[in-house]
Amino acid sequence: MDNLGFLFAANAFVWGGVIFYLVTLKRRNHALERDVQLLKNVMDKESDK
Amino acid sequence: MSEETAKENYFLVGLTAAVLFTAMAAVFLYAPTEKTEGVIQRIMYFHIPSAWLSFFAFFVVFLSSILFLWKKEREWDIYAHASAEIGVVFCSLVLITGPIWARPIWGAWWVWDSRLTSTLILWLIYVAYLMLRGQTEPGSMRARYAAVLGIVGFLDIPLIHFSVLWWRAFHPQPKIITAEGFGKGLDSSMMTTLLISLAAFTLLYFVLMGQRVRQEKLRDEIDRLKKEQLDSH
Repeated sequence: MDNLGFLFAANAFVWGGVIFYLVTLKRRNHALERDVQLLKNVMDKESDK
Repeated sequence: MSEETAKENYFLVGLTAAVLFTAMAAVFLYAPTEKTEGVIQRIMYFHIPSAWLSFFAFFVVFLSSILFLWKKEREWDIYAHASAEIGVVFCSLVLITGPIWARPIWGAWWVWDSRLTSTLILWLIYVAYLMLRGQTEPGSMRARYAAVLGIVGFLDIPLIHFSVLWWRAFHPQPKIITAEGFGKGLDSSMMTTLLISLAAFTLLYFVLMGQRVRQEKLRDEIDRLKKEQLDSH
């Protein structure tokens, strides 16, 4: 049981890394979806004029 | 995103979470503790699947790059770019978990062993691939240069696999595909746990790929809308 700290550190890196990457991807996608919607709204307004 | 695609995505995410949970339970509750290395050997159940995932991701880069050069379709460039990023993330995890495992067993964080060195080279090649994509102007030339690097970079993977057989190495010999047959290098319960973990990481790849491909497609949509807007003025 001497190396539990190393096992914990490896697990923390793997799961921390995976969760961080997933959250980053989700955030980036939300920001891009917002930008697409914004551009579509601007274009709709311009075509109404 | 259509309702049907959203349902498929939820199913894939749910399945991945369930298999990951099963893998975690198997690693800590089912797999026996290895006699010589002790608990630290359990790192293997994340280290090998991370390596598998990164190799699989780079294989997708390799295949998509060939298809892009052949068919000149943007879709293949998107798959190659998305998969390269995922591959680099998991190759980084291999290069982090390896030294954590090595320190108590070999007494050193890093040795310039053939497998470790060739894995570091693989990571550097695909980091360069991502930098090339990030630093050059978008367009077909960037995609072509990246495709060539994506194909050439993959040639390092067979070298990584055979390095421990060809040269004297600190790194252990292959455990899954051995000269004696499939899975003969491990105890059966350890092998089962490793296979569950490999399945979980493979599913995780497809979840991440779905998200990453969507990101590239949204970027393309933004570029298209901006161009349309400029053209209308």
